Amino acid sequence: MAWKQQIKAFDAWIDAGMTWIGTHGSAAFSALRGLLEGGYDGLLWLLQLPPWWVLGLAVGGLAWRLVGRGFGVIAAAGLILCWGMGLWPETLETLALVLSATTIAVLVGGIIGVVAGYSPRVAGFVDPVLDLIQTLPPYLYLLPAIAFLGYGPATAILATFIVAVPPTVKLTALGISRTPNEFLELGTATGASGWQTFVKIRLPFAARSIMAGVNQSLMMAFGMVVIAGIVGSGGLGETIYASVRTLDIAKSVDAAIAIVVLTIVLDRISQAAQKETP
Amino acid sequence: MTNEALDVLIDCRNVWKIFGERSDEAIKAIRERGAGKREVLRDYNCVVGVSDASFQIRKGEIFCIMGLSGSGKSTLVRLLNRLIEPSMGKVEVKGRDIAQMGPKDLRALRAHEIGMVFQSVALIPGRTVLDNAAFGLEVQGVAKAERHKIASDALARVGLADWANHMPRQLSGGMQQRVGLARAIASDPEIILMDEPFSALDPLIRKQLQDEFRELTKSLGKSAVFITHDLDEAMRIGDRIAIMKDGIMIQQGTAEDIVLHPADAYVAEFVAGISRLHLVKAHSLMAPVSEVPGDVLARLPRTSPEADVQALIDLVLSTPDQAVAVEDAGTCIGVVTARTLLEGIRGEEHAAATIEVVA
Ligand SMILES: Nc1ncnc2c1ncn2[C@@H]1O[C@H](COP(=O)(O)OP(=O)(O)OP(=O)(O)O)[C@@H](O)[C@H]1O
Ligand SMILES: [Mg+2]
Repeated sequence: MAWKQQIKAFDAWIDAGMTWIGTHGSAAFSALRGLLEGGYDGLLWLLQLPPWWVLGLAVGGLAWRLVGRGFGVIAAAGLILCWGMGLWPETLETLALVLSATTIAVLVGGIIGVVAGYSPRVAGFVDPVLDLIQTLPPYLYLLPAIAFLGYGPATAILATFIVAVPPTVKLTALGISRTPNEFLELGTATGASGWQTFVKIRLPFAARSIMAGVNQSLMMAFGMVVIAGIVGSGGLGETIYASVRTLDIAKSVDAAIAIVVLTIVLDRISQAAQKETP
Repeated sequence: MTNEALDVLIDCRNVWKIFGERSDEAIKAIRERGAGKREVLRDYNCVVGVSDASFQIRKGEIFCIMGLSGSGKSTLVRLLNRLIEPSMGKVEVKGRDIAQMGPKDLRALRAHEIGMVFQSVALIPGRTVLDNAAFGLEVQGVAKAERHKIASDALARVGLADWANHMPRQLSGGMQQRVGLARAIASDPEIILMDEPFSALDPLIRKQLQDEFRELTKSLGKSAVFITHDLDEAMRIGDRIAIMKDGIMIQQGTAEDIVLHPADAYVAEFVAGISRLHLVKAHSLMAPVSEVPGDVLARLPRTSPEADVQALIDLVLSTPDQAVAVEDAGTCIGVVTARTLLEGIRGEEHAAATIEVVA
């Protein structure tokens, strides 16, 4: 059976390749891991700094200001519920995971999006890659990440980043490339430099689209962070994964409720922020 | 250089703009065998936007370019600040060939010498009226306090002093267009390019803005190139008017020139509906002094060669002799009688009819 041997050869080849990358790139990967975990730990430390009720009130207050009074109360109540279920540390971990992955996705995706928005050629190259990322099951992205970064939050953040980055890239590129022609003409006719046109004209016009991208990235990140529980990300995802394995259904439902609360609160707040952009 | 040459702000010489991927071949065909617009479209799939336009904008004048949709007005006006590169020909602004300018000089030219106002106004939605008016100055790097002061003055000039802190969407179309004008004059350019700025407004507001614009431009001593598809507007605003058709500038002249001596049947048809009461002046109506006896001439009321038909009618009716003497620098150069007046007014149909016969 020649083909079976060929598959074996392929597997061996992959293994060898991985080992090669693992050994030769180990410095780079441990640096990446250090960076991701450092960022995550820092953010988590910040979130843990205030007592739980201060953070709950702060989020409630923000929701009140941006969304409305009713939702402010609901958001605060939802966070109190997370605390009441004894899931406050996990909630904060999930929040830190989502926020760090989304931040990286927005930074990297924003830059790629701007470049793609300016250059149709770059867009022509980036678009199919993004489509592919969005087509494949998100689960897959855990594989390369765990191979290089090992078990833990760094892997979760990297995989979440991959899943979260497409909407920001796409909607940033869309916003930047769709600046109405008459405004670009205004820039040129007033003698604006390329940078001035970008900052004063393209960016303000793209702001809404970019914010929509950020919101979508945030939501993608939420979905992925829960899946990433399987690689020891910590947080609510891991709680669900662990309690399902031990058939502790009640606890997994609690964790699910906490995830729903967090998702809705962040979604509404980021959507409201998007509406505030002119 | 003569004085006259110094007074020319924009000098456009044999300028062409050809759109399309094969414009190089099209240009060659035009140069070598004088290919026409239709031929160029058929053989090279290129559109001739502007065809061999030559004209000059002089200091302090308002030059109107009038033509129907697709005649190449927007293209032409964009050639003047190089928003569009000409395919052939030369555009000089204040004696400098703008095709030779580097990016920096070009930016400086656009920032300081040539302002532009757009049909779509293009006020940036997230900025206040004041910050919109200050946009050009902001681009130039003028400090905030200073540019706000200048922009406020510009807004006051267009009667919008009280609206500085509003958002553009809170303003009516006419007010928005005034902000666009304020933004252009805030940078204190010598020349203002206006691409159909009032076309989207209703007639009453439009008339008002036309008058305001003319007065403002004159009082600031600016020159303007004003694009319009409305002949009435062109005549109301322009010191000189150019008429465009299919990318070709078919006639240039004062409103009076164009009404009295249309270059071809197309122009004649356009001007047929124009009232001559304010356009036709005594000097183009008057008959030789010999038309009236010397003693009558002596007691006739006097008027200047620039008096329009409306004024002449009033004068002629006010005297028993039904005539008025046209005087220039103290000498009588002609007379306008009831008869010459009637001939002058009839001229429209008369002129149109003659043209038809000729054509
Ligand atoms: N970027 C372009 N590419 C190809 N053809 C163009 C382009 N811009 C203008 N044209 C063509 O050039 C001709 C002149 O267009 P232009 O916009 O200058 O007309 P206009 O007189 O301003 O008309 P309107 O009154 O509708 O604004 C038209 O036939 C148009 O299709
Ligand atoms: Mg136009």
